[in-house]
Amino acid sequence: MLRFTAERFVGMIVTMLLVSLMVFIIMELPPGDYADRYAFRKYSGTGVSVTEADIQAIRVELGLDKPMLLRYFDWIGNIVLHGDFGQAFAFETSVTKVIGDKALLTTAILFGTLIITYLVSIPIGIYAAVKRASFADYGLTTFSYLGLALPNFLLALILLYFANRWFNADIGGLFSAEMKDAPWSLAKAGDLIAHLWLPAIVLAWSAVAYQLQTVRATMSDELNKLSVTAARARGVPETKLLIKYPARLAINPVVSTIGFDVNRIFSELPIVAVVLGLTELGELLLRAYLDLDMYVAGAILLLLTFMIVFMNFISDILLAWLDPRIKLGG
Amino acid sequence: MGDLLTVENLTISFRTDEGLITPVQDVSFSVQKGRTLGLVGESGSGKSVSTKAVMRLLPGSAVIAPDTRMHYTAKDGQRVEVEKLDPRSRAIRRLRGGEIGMIFQEPMASFSPVYTIGNQMIEAIRLHREPNKRQAREIAIAMLERVGLSDPATRIDQYPHEMSGGMRQRAMIALALSAGPALLIADEPTTALDVTIQAQVLDLMRELQRDLGMGMIFITHDLGVIAQIAQDVAVMYLGTIVERGPTAEVIRDPKHPYTQGLLAAIPSLDRLNARMTPVPGDIPSPTERPTGCPFHTRCVHAIAGLCSARTPREIAPEPGRAVRCWLHDEAGRSAA
Ligand SMILES: Nc1ncnc2c1ncn2[C@@H]1O[C@H](COP(=O)(O)OP(=O)(O)O)[C@@H](O)[C@H]1O
Ligand SMILES: [Mg+2]
Repeated sequence: MLRFTAERFVGMIVTMLLVSLMVFIIMELPPGDYADRYAFRKYSGTGVSVTEADIQAIRVELGLDKPMLLRYFDWIGNIVLHGDFGQAFAFETSVTKVIGDKALLTTAILFGTLIITYLVSIPIGIYAAVKRASFADYGLTTFSYLGLALPNFLLALILLYFANRWFNADIGGLFSAEMKDAPWSLAKAGDLIAHLWLPAIVLAWSAVAYQLQTVRATMSDELNKLSVTAARARGVPETKLLIKYPARLAINPVVSTIGFDVNRIFSELPIVAVVLGLTELGELLLRAYLDLDMYVAGAILLLLTFMIVFMNFISDILLAWLDPRIKLGG
Repeated sequence: MGDLLTVENLTISFRTDEGLITPVQDVSFSVQKGRTLGLVGESGSGKSVSTKAVMRLLPGSAVIAPDTRMHYTAKDGQRVEVEKLDPRSRAIRRLRGGEIGMIFQEPMASFSPVYTIGNQMIEAIRLHREPNKRQAREIAIAMLERVGLSDPATRIDQYPHEMSGGMRQRAMIALALSAGPALLIADEPTTALDVTIQAQVLDLMRELQRDLGMGMIFITHDLGVIAQIAQDVAVMYLGTIVERGPTAEVIRDPKHPYTQGLLAAIPSLDRLNARMTPVPGDIPSPTERPTGCPFHTRCVHAIAGLCSARTPREIAPEPGRAVRCWLHDEAGRSAA
C-alpha cells in the first residue's frame, strides 16, 4: 500500500506539472499582454502620449519581455518554493491577497458539497438496495429521478425563497452582513457553516440523485454474490455483514468518480454563485481572464485543476484500499 | 449415534413474476452424527434450495410450507426447531457456521475477494469459538495446515485470487471447519475442480469428516462420487426425494426407475464420456411440474393412468430403505 501510494503520488506531481504548463500556455493565448492594458489604464486621460518604447519599458519592469519558457519556470518556481503566485496587476497587490479568501471559500463549498453528496447517497443507496422493490425503494428511486430532472439554479431559487420565508434567514452569500469583513474567528467559521449548507445542498442535489442510483445498482449486484451468502452462512450478523462485504465493493464506482464530481461542482458553481450571491473563484477567473490579468487567472486555474488532480489521487488511494486487487494487479 | 438433523415434509415455494413455483415438495431426510448423507440429483432438482432452507438462507421471495419440520440437535444436546426461527435471529446465527458449516461449488466466488483468507477465517472463529484474536489466528493456521496447505502461516495472509483453484477449495473447507461445526453441508464442492484435484479434495473431506466425527450432507449430481463418500444416499428428482437408504444397498439394488437410470449411466473405464444424460428425456422445468409422479414423463415402467395422475407416497420396501414409486406400492395401487 505504501509503495502504491508513493507511485501514485509521483504520478500526481507529474500530472500537476504538465497541467501547470498547460495553464501557462492558456494564459499566454489571448492577443496582447498586460503591458498594453497597464499603459492604457495608467496614462489614459492624462494627456501623455504613450510610445511603443514606454510600453516596452513597462514590459521589462513587469518581466513580460523574457522568453515564455523562462517566465514559466519563474512562475512555477515561485509558486512551489515561496507560495508566491505573482502580481495581480489590476489590483496592484499580490495574487495571494486577491484570491486567498475566495479560494478558501470555494474549497469550503467543494468539501461541503462532497460530504453531503456521499453522506446522503451512499447510505440511502445501500438502504434502497437492501429493501429492494419495497415502498421505500420505489419512493427513493422516484425522488432521485426528480433530483436529476430539476436544474440546480432553480433549486437554489426555491431554497432561497423558503429559507427566507420559514427561517427568516438571510441566507444569500456565505456570511451574514456583520461577519462579512470581520477577521477570521470561531464565530465567523460558525457563520460560514450556517450559510454553507444552502449552496452545498444545491450543488450536491443532482450528484446525490445520480450516485444514489449507482450505489443502489452496484449494491443490488453485490448482495446477490455467493460470497455474501457464504458470509451469512458463517453467522456474520446482518448489519456488519452488509457493511463489510457488499457495501465495501458497492461504493467503488462512487469513489472512482470523485474526480468527476469535483469537476462538475466547479463547473456548476458559477451559476449557483450568481443566484446565491456568493463570491467564489469562478467569477473572478472570468473577470481576470478578460482583463488579461494573467497571474490571477493562472493561479485560479491552477488551484482548480490541482484540486481535481489531488482528488483523483485521493480517489485512487481509496479505491486501492477498498479493493486490494487493484494494487496487486499492478 | 442419533439424528443430528431431521427434515420432514420440507416444501419450498418461490413468489416469482410468473406466479408461485414450488421447486421442492414434501422432502424428508435425516443425517446421523458422524455419517455422510449424499444428496444426488440432476441440476435444478432442488438440492441447493433444500439445504439452504435448513440454514434459513433462502431469499425473501421463498415460502417454507407450514407443515415443514426441520429439527437439529445442537452440540450441547439442545433440540432446535429450525423452521420456527426468525432468519434474522441470534439463534439462527449461532447455528450458521458454528453448528452447521457450508461449502459451495465455486471456491473463488465464496470468498470475498477484498479480504485475506485469514481475515474471513478469524472472523468466523471469533464469532463461534474463540474471541481472542491471536488465538483465533492460531486456530486458523492450524486448520489451514490440517487441510493440506503448505506454509499456512504465509497462506493465511493471502487473498483468494493468489491461490489456485484446488488450494482455494481447501481453504474454503478450512474456513467452514474452523468455526467447529457438527454438521457440514458441502454443495457440489468438487464439481468446479478438475479430475485429479477432485479426487484429492474428496479424500480430504472423507478423512476430515471421519476424524472430526462430523455429520455431513454431500451434494452432487454424480452417483459415482456418492459411492466414494456417503454412507447414506437420497436421490432427488424435480424437488422430491424418490429414493433413500444406505448407499451400498441402494447401489446394489436400486428400487426407483430413476435411480436405476442414474446407475446405468455412471461412466465405466471403457466409456469415458462423463456427464451424459442419465435417463432419456429432459428434466421438466419446475414451472411445468408433471402431475402425479414427477418422473412419469421419462419413466419406462410408468403405469398408464396411475403414475401421471396420482403422487406416490413414500414407502419402505425393506427396513431402512424408502422409495416413492407406484411399482413398489402394491397396497396403494390396489386401493387406488
Ligand atoms: N430465488 C429463486 N427464485 C425462484 N426460483 C428459484 C430460486 N432459487 C431456486 N429456484 C428454483 O429452484 C430450482 C432448484 O434449484 P436448486 O436447488 O439450485 O437446484 P440444484 O441445486 O439441485 O441444481 C431451480 O430450478 C429454480 O427454478
Ligand atoms: Mg445446486
